[in-house]
Amino acid sequence: MLIKTINAVLAVIAGVGGALVLFWVLNRLVGLLPGRWEDRLKPYVYIGPAFLAISLYLIYPAIQTIHFSFANADSTAYVGLDNYTSLLGSAGFRSTLVNTLLWIVIVPAVTIALGLGIAVLADRLRPRAEKLAKTAIFLPMAISAVGAGTIWRFVYATNPPGEPQIGVQNAIVTGLGFDPVNWLQITDFKFNSLELMVMLLWAQVGFSMVLLSAAIKGVPADTLEAARIDGASERQIFRKVIVPQIRGTIITVFVTVTIGVMKLFDIVYVMTNGDFDTNVIGVQFFNELFTNFNNGHAAAIVVMLMIAIIPIMVYQVRQFRTEEAGR
Amino acid sequence: MRRTKLLQTLAPMTALALLSSGCLSDGGSTATSGTGTGNAGKTVEIMTGMTGDNLNALKVSLDPYAKEQGITIKWSPSDNFNQLIVTRVQGNNLPDIALFPQPGIMKDLAAKGRLAPLDDILDMPTLKNSMTAGTLEAGSKDGKLYGLMASMNVKSLVFYPKQAFESAGYEIPKSIPELLALTDKIRSAGKTPWCLGIESGPATGWPATDWMEELVLKYGGAAKYDDWINHKTKFDSPLVRRAAGTFEKIAFTDGNVLGGRKSISSNNFGTAGNPMFRNPPGCFMYKQGNFVAAKGFFPDDVVADIDNRVGVFGFPPATAGGDNPVEGGGDLAGLFSKDNEAAKKLLQYMATKDFGAAGAKTGAWLSPHKDFDVANYPTQTIQNIAKIAYQSTGIAFDGSDAMPGAVGSGSFWKGMTGWISNQQSLDQALKAIDDSWPAS
Repeated sequence: MLIKTINAVLAVIAGVGGALVLFWVLNRLVGLLPGRWEDRLKPYVYIGPAFLAISLYLIYPAIQTIHFSFANADSTAYVGLDNYTSLLGSAGFRSTLVNTLLWIVIVPAVTIALGLGIAVLADRLRPRAEKLAKTAIFLPMAISAVGAGTIWRFVYATNPPGEPQIGVQNAIVTGLGFDPVNWLQITDFKFNSLELMVMLLWAQVGFSMVLLSAAIKGVPADTLEAARIDGASERQIFRKVIVPQIRGTIITVFVTVTIGVMKLFDIVYVMTNGDFDTNVIGVQFFNELFTNFNNGHAAAIVVMLMIAIIPIMVYQVRQFRTEEAGR
Repeated sequence: MRRTKLLQTLAPMTALALLSSGCLSDGGSTATSGTGTGNAGKTVEIMTGMTGDNLNALKVSLDPYAKEQGITIKWSPSDNFNQLIVTRVQGNNLPDIALFPQPGIMKDLAAKGRLAPLDDILDMPTLKNSMTAGTLEAGSKDGKLYGLMASMNVKSLVFYPKQAFESAGYEIPKSIPELLALTDKIRSAGKTPWCLGIESGPATGWPATDWMEELVLKYGGAAKYDDWINHKTKFDSPLVRRAAGTFEKIAFTDGNVLGGRKSISSNNFGTAGNPMFRNPPGCFMYKQGNFVAAKGFFPDDVVADIDNRVGVFGFPPATAGGDNPVEGGGDLAGLFSKDNEAAKKLLQYMATKDFGAAGAKTGAWLSPHKDFDVANYPTQTIQNIAKIAYQSTGIAFDGSDAMPGAVGSGSFWKGMTGWISNQQSLDQALKAIDDSWPAS
């Protein structure tokens, strides 16, 4: 135990110290060069290690993944586009794509709407009440997804009719004299997917609320005052004065949540593992890789996901740039 | 001048290299235990997938003997046994004895020559008389024994609420037609015959695969069951369809299952049987492995008074008195070196018919020996369960465990769940499972 602790401490010291020493050494080495070369090379010396690390841990695996997506299940022979055609050709995967799309359309928008609404309303409360309300709404952020799954299993749990219901919703439903409902198996209008989305909203609205609330508080009071003097209604002030000024934050939250939703895995895995037509591509990827041991399919899914995320990231970077330019 | 400057800069780098290598050397030293051969100090490392009460039962059974012989046992239990044993064999970092929870990997290792045959070490004629039918075959490869079953578990069990079942005058069915007739009889009396639940979080569906395996095994017998596990018989085949037909009759007929077909896939397997023990009973039969008759599954007050409240019978054969294999499993002990005297001694002891008497008394151990003294089991219920296995015509391992992961813990679970919850037809489910079978 003592040795392990000492080792851990040594590892931290060596890791942090090592990085410092490395930069110091490289700096000195470049310093040995004649003046002009020193100036030319120095920026690369500082950016180099980070760039190398990113290449090694991000770019290389990405290329390898693209490579494997054209190979068979155990990556021993090329199969061309077979992985893509067989995935896109299967009804199960297409339905998985539709579900994922539904998540992307619904969750970020609702997260923003709820977060914004709560932030605006909480802003009008007295300071203590505001703190309390915000803390309560932010609290689920502190719970891990698997923990959230455990909690929500008790919300949606279903026992046979006539048995005591341990699930909250079914306890209410049977308490009112109805038969228990198999919440997670209602596929009409993708209702069960919507129920899973509620879980993610529950967990994420706090995040959106905190960022948007900070942005709203940053809106200069004189602009609001000017609008009021000009006779604008509260609704007009919100739509035409506040929202345009916090647009950047809204987009950041929107993009972050969107990317998070595209990679969604844990909630669906814990609650249904994709059964009852609730599958999303994150879960499908996991099952292809760790249940089916099919590297080809798993890599093809990741490549499709990457391709889908790129436009969103480009949009965000552009947005970021125009905002920087506007400042 | 330049040179000294270079030296100054190089010195810390060297120091850093030394420091980091110092950190790593500590982790490496623990990996070289269990040398496979020799064992001069008479330490025997036993790897096992058993945990909790089962592991404890094994320890109390084996430790006293080892102590008497001056052998120290180094226990290496792991829930992740299958991955770990493969990695350790690849790295040539062998334990002395390994207890394999499933025969697949054990047979692979035997085929590669990594395990020692046990035929010369153990008293085979005595074992053949003593071991439950099918258990030696489960541990054999090419006619030689490589895995000795040390402990056993049984899946082909139907539990019932003893008093209510008997006072209603129901009789234990001796064949599947009789089981179906009993089901109809209970239902037409206005009661619910079965409890059935297959919900198990991300693993939802596995209890339904056990039902299918059970029926395929009873209808087809051990040989055809093996063909099915190896995909020589497809899922879309008369045998599997026959099994599915019987399951459909039991599970989907209105009034047969508590809560009906729609509640099966949301009802948790661990507690689905518990309405049996209400008064009047919510249902009269629940099929599940022997593990369920313990704390954490059946209600505590039932477990405390298990012999009076719980009855159990073996899932009946296709025809009364006919071939009656039983689905179950066990831990197969394999030896890595035939020159390892201490490990050999322990294995020889594990092959004796009385081995496990101490463990059996804890209630978490079933011996695979037919002539094991059942009085060692603490309850009548466990004695009955053991007898069901001892009287069978053979033990067959869980089929889905032996299938490739893509099927056994993937499409088979999902197919059954989809079919039961009416999201897909039986045809679609069987086809999807067949299609998911890996090509190689």
